[in-house]
Amino acid sequence: MNRINPLETFRIRPSQKVSIRYGRKSYQGVAGDTIATLLYANGVRIFSRSLKYHRPRGLYSLDGECSNTMMQVNDMPNVRVENTPARDGMEVVAQNVAGKTADIDPMAFMDNLSFAMPAGFYYRTLHKPAKIWPLAIKNIRKAAGLGVMNPDFRMPGHFDEIYPTTDVCVIGGGPAGMTAALSAAEHGLRVILLENRPWLGGVFDYRPTAYEGDIPLYRRAWELAEKVETTPNIRSFTHTAVVGNYNDHLVTAFQRGDKTDPFDERYIEIRARSLVIATGCIERPLLFENNDRPGIMQVGCAHRLARTWGLLPGKRAVFSIGDDLGLEAAVDLADLGLEIACVADTRQDGQDESLTDALAQRDIPFYRGWMATEAHGGKRLKGVILGPVTGIRRQTFDCNLLVASAGQTPLTSLLSMRQVKLRYDHHTGFFLPDNPPDGIHPAGRMLGLQDSVEIEISGRLAGMAAAADCGINMDKEIETIKTRMDAFPGPVRGAKVVSAAVKGKKTFICFDEDTTLKNVDQAMAYGFDVPELIKRFTSAGTGPGQGGIPGHNLPLYVAQTQQSPDTEPRPTTVRAPLVPTLLATYAGSQHDMSKRTALHDSQEATGGKMERIGVWNRIRRFSEDVNARAEINNVRSNVGMLDASTLGKFRIHGPDALKALQRVYVSNMEKMIDGKIKYSAMCNEDGCIIDDGVVVKRGDNDYYFTTSTGRAGQTVEWIRFHTRYDGWNFNLVNLTDAYGVINLAGPNARKVLEKITAADVSNGAFPYIGYREFMIADSIPARAMRLGFVGELSYEFHVPASYMQALWDILEEAGQEFGVQNFGLEAQSTLRLEKGHLIIGSESEQRTTLHDVGLGFLWNRKPSAKTVGAVALEDTEKQKGRLKLVGIKMADAALPTPRDGSIIVDTKIRGYVCTARFSDTLNEPVGMVLVEDELSKIDTQFNIYEDDCNGRLITAKVADMPFYDPDGKRMKM
Amino acid sequence: MKKEIIRRSPVAFNMRPVKEERRGHWVVALEYENEGDGPHLVDLSHCIRWDLQDSDPNGDRGKWKPLGIPVPEQPGGCIIKNGVMINRMNNTQAAIWHLSGEEAEMPPETAYTDVTDATAFLALTGEKTFAIAEKLTALDLSDLDGTPPFLIQGPFVHVPCQIVVMANGAEQPGILLTCSRGYAHDMVAAILEAGKAFNLRPAGEAAFKRWLEQLK
Repeated sequence: MNRINPLETFRIRPSQKVSIRYGRKSYQGVAGDTIATLLYANGVRIFSRSLKYHRPRGLYSLDGECSNTMMQVNDMPNVRVENTPARDGMEVVAQNVAGKTADIDPMAFMDNLSFAMPAGFYYRTLHKPAKIWPLAIKNIRKAAGLGVMNPDFRMPGHFDEIYPTTDVCVIGGGPAGMTAALSAAEHGLRVILLENRPWLGGVFDYRPTAYEGDIPLYRRAWELAEKVETTPNIRSFTHTAVVGNYNDHLVTAFQRGDKTDPFDERYIEIRARSLVIATGCIERPLLFENNDRPGIMQVGCAHRLARTWGLLPGKRAVFSIGDDLGLEAAVDLADLGLEIACVADTRQDGQDESLTDALAQRDIPFYRGWMATEAHGGKRLKGVILGPVTGIRRQTFDCNLLVASAGQTPLTSLLSMRQVKLRYDHHTGFFLPDNPPDGIHPAGRMLGLQDSVEIEISGRLAGMAAAADCGINMDKEIETIKTRMDAFPGPVRGAKVVSAAVKGKKTFICFDEDTTLKNVDQAMAYGFDVPELIKRFTSAGTGPGQGGIPGHNLPLYVAQTQQSPDTEPRPTTVRAPLVPTLLATYAGSQHDMSKRTALHDSQEATGGKMERIGVWNRIRRFSEDVNARAEINNVRSNVGMLDASTLGKFRIHGPDALKALQRVYVSNMEKMIDGKIKYSAMCNEDGCIIDDGVVVKRGDNDYYFTTSTGRAGQTVEWIRFHTRYDGWNFNLVNLTDAYGVINLAGPNARKVLEKITAADVSNGAFPYIGYREFMIADSIPARAMRLGFVGELSYEFHVPASYMQALWDILEEAGQEFGVQNFGLEAQSTLRLEKGHLIIGSESEQRTTLHDVGLGFLWNRKPSAKTVGAVALEDTEKQKGRLKLVGIKMADAALPTPRDGSIIVDTKIRGYVCTARFSDTLNEPVGMVLVEDELSKIDTQFNIYEDDCNGRLITAKVADMPFYDPDGKRMKM
Repeated sequence: MKKEIIRRSPVAFNMRPVKEERRGHWVVALEYENEGDGPHLVDLSHCIRWDLQDSDPNGDRGKWKPLGIPVPEQPGGCIIKNGVMINRMNNTQAAIWHLSGEEAEMPPETAYTDVTDATAFLALTGEKTFAIAEKLTALDLSDLDGTPPFLIQGPFVHVPCQIVVMANGAEQPGILLTCSRGYAHDMVAAILEAGKAFNLRPAGEAAFKRWLEQLK
């Protein structure tokens, strides 16, 4: 199709060509084309096939209000081609059809079977007998649906996110939105302006109608847009669809990037102090028989095709409209070369007479109180029957374009999302907001205004009100502008007609779901008497257009036709996202934040197998052997080194520090001895064990303590919470990241340590459970603890994290002659299991008390401490029927090692395996289980069931712990 | 045994500095290749940081004056003097950051804790600072009502951070931030990724000091 002669309003650059492929052909367009306008320019009229009936569908709104123009682009289904810019090389395929284009569809016969598919037919019929339901639903889903996603499809592109904060957020970049933004910005406020289309201007953008004097509206739009774009404290985001509006003025949106942007699409989450909603109106579709035929489009669609993209939408047109914008478009399109057979207006009166005069001057017949009642044609529109709204006469017109609209309807979704009550206004025919909440200011056409200057002034007023929300005294200015507003006509009377007098068999109220007026009637006949229920029963408005097309027509139609005396229209609920958004956009940059210890890189470089455990990355093992046997054997026979930096580490100091420790630890912390570590545990209010660790006293009212890795993040809050009413004076410092920890363990550990420090580390000077502070290599200040978690002579060195790599290297070099090797979490877990030491979380669960795991001896019964969990510990101490932690061995040492989590069964589940490993040291499997107390006596046998055991249970027996070195000689050597 | 002891920053840029300086056990990067005019991301993790906690840091007639500098009275307040910044975090706590990068002796009182190694310490400076930051946090760093420097505590790339807005004017804005040391790798990767479109580059301490100087 040849474009019309260039106009000032064009948004295309005809000199730059763009080529895309559709079906098996290449189509050429120009820069600025959307995929839809490019295809339209090349004669494509059918863009898709409908969901149920496979009816051909064409260009209708240009703003993505329905699924008519959803196509597969570059393997991505459901792309709205009417607002997707065409880019060179795009591969476009029609969806929901057997072929590559939508012109031919073997499933088109479905259209003739609509009689067999009344509203909710499958809910009512396909469950008798019940067994056919799964089969039926599977095939219905196969036959319906929009687009097919290839499971191997990888989303191309770069998806970003931003979280700006602003004073005023203006939604809608039309004349009201722009003046609101300028008005608020004049007072030095930060303003964000969001516009769905790729440019500012809204309803002024393409219209040549005079604004004031001779200035056409589109020039006025440029003028305002330039002001907005050059005002430094206004940030305007175009091609940005708002998808949500939440409490405290949190607005979510997404923006499509153009070629110059570093993103393809980005998520925008705005926090504002005040909101202006100037989203304007969309057209309310006119309902008549076959209102979905390709060649039928809305007024704005036809007008913008010509004015913005240079495409005459058809050759011979009929207009069936309901407002002055329709008349204006007819006059302008006639001047641009469109042959117009006639214009029908649903209104009997109230038209702008200058526009009806203009039609007369162009010899275009004008029918007052008339409308389209039926369209003819199949894949292309061939004609239309018009008749009076009263439905008495009928007249047929040949045409290939029907420009149809019932009038305007406001875009109120963003108000609805904030629970604003919308009231039907009988003057405008709009759903208007009743008392918007504080900080929300509707403006512009959505209030029913039509006068261009008045629209701008309403924006200015909203901008001022928003500025007042931000603390600026605007009383005088607001008063003045309100007085100015009074001089204007105010909201105009709107068209009320919803539907022609038709049976509605093929009168589509919702294109997405193929819902007809007949379906709505059927739903009402079944007793669904409110739009919310009818929406669910018929699916009207639940498609990807998010209710754009059925929008306000559904409640209006229901109000006009239902039997109930309460006929006040009620709009249906809207929910986010208001516009379908890519999941990739929501995912954004996908920052997966995790923590690394100071040894991360060097450990990985030496073959460490890294695992994500909670927030940390930790080394599981250093070889392919999943049991890490070499690492275990080396610790038992030589010496090993483990990076234990993820332990929680804290300083608590201040006059009441000890009281705070007494409150959260179950032991009597007063009994701490200088130079010695104290092992204890923390319980919750139920007496269940939540943490364990060691505490050392470093000075008066000054303690250093450790927690398990998993609890480190909550420890400060835990202690503060449980002392919140005491008014104690103590301070907590989280040193988890400040200190790294190396565990040096094995019979040769002391020999290694002696080489790197001048301190006396002999067994006498630094005995088991001792705590010392000394320098390593004369430079590294170390807090050293003699512990025995893995059951060997063992030291923990806590050093400032920046020294960790240096210390590791020193230990490695010093330990070379003693066979030092790394070990990881797997080896540590087996080593401590052999020793019978538990890990909270592995050998305990939510309901496991201190007594259940055999640590009741830690509990200090002194009531003055009011220890967290003390009451529950007393109650549960001798409670029967609890799961107890016991050690197990296999009834026969040759039996396989049960997997962690396997259940212990007889006639019911009696417990489960917490951890079990084959012990090389002991040459048999050992484990720890939580089992009902009556099975917890030594030598009691029970069976263990595993997922894939095929009925062959493993028999285990309760065994004494520790399994290894029961006297603890090796830890104390 | 005589092995060189080096303290390592948790931050590692994917390039070697062209100029560096040994400071105690730290090796401080002074300059990187092709630093450009900014925006810059600077690793300041070697700068000494102390935690000061007391039931009332301003009590007893201004009892706490780290290095002679009074603790700001209101949470969120910051004071910079002689290359030292003090941020009041809450009613009982203040952070003390030695922006000069020089060594300093911690006062002997138990209220102080050396937390230099607890966090990664970064400076994000240059014209596009807030454009980069808004990709990573919902915190309002460019709040025009706030008079820099001021402290904001909250999530930056989902990680709890202390952020000091040093300048929020249009020309050379900048922020300092600390986050748990363990997050340093992912934090730097996220910031550099967010700043790619704005030509954000790693820079050495010298660039930071020049920027700090021009704020005066």
